[in-house]
Amino acid sequence: MMTASYIDELHESFHTDIVYRSEDIPLECTPRPSEMEETLHGVMKLNGLIIRSLEEIAGRGANAVTYRAGKKFGHEIAKYFQKRDDVEEALHELSDLLRGQYTFEVWKPEDKENFIIEEDGQTFIYLVFHDCIVRQTLRRNGQEQGGPLCQTLFGYVVGAIEEITGRRAKLEIVHTGPNACLKKLILK
Amino acid sequence: MDIRVDTDACVGCGLCVKDCPMDVYELRDGVSVPVKPKNCMGCLSCHEICPAQALEHRGIYPARRHYIDMRVCEMLNRVI
Repeated sequence: MMTASYIDELHESFHTDIVYRSEDIPLECTPRPSEMEETLHGVMKLNGLIIRSLEEIAGRGANAVTYRAGKKFGHEIAKYFQKRDDVEEALHELSDLLRGQYTFEVWKPEDKENFIIEEDGQTFIYLVFHDCIVRQTLRRNGQEQGGPLCQTLFGYVVGAIEEITGRRAKLEIVHTGPNACLKKLILK
Repeated sequence: MDIRVDTDACVGCGLCVKDCPMDVYELRDGVSVPVKPKNCMGCLSCHEICPAQALEHRGIYPARRHYIDMRVCEMLNRVI
């Protein structure tokens, strides 16, 4: 069972008083990208090109390659962290691991009582990914979300969760958006 | 999440209703109504898809957007 304080703390960090309108043109990002913009955009373009070429050559096999790469990376990074049985603590650990690249929070629809949901024989947790370097790269290159580059993130999360908890896991896309993506972490 | 719909601008196309995975919106009398705002996770797909730009989300967490070309934005702000 996830503790209320951790959930509250997490939700609080994603709560703002900002009003977002469709017609808003951003004047600044945090941190300001002016000093690193060219380098960052170069990396984004390069990543986009690699993924596009991989898709052209390997077709649907591209997803398997990128998923595998992400999973290896997840295992690699998380093996230096403390092993935990508790999924909540593992997610906490994971959010620290991913900070700077991805930020996420556990989420549930209004009609669900707990964050760990059991439905149709599956145990899962909804994760809302807010900041995501994959999404930024795809949008920089005008590529669709949910493709092979997203599989790297899937692999990364699954690999890290498996490494920390020792449990098998799977991540599924529920919805992708310009500001956040909803994903389902299925625990086995 | 506080979601507001500009009822004068909304054309009742229902794209937000179809797109939202959490059934936040419903069409009522030809206008989109956010019936389950607490189910909104702030993906802003509805903003992107709304042809009338009739939506407004309050209390949103804006994800980092380093992909934006600031020179283009500054130029647009000078023009608009």
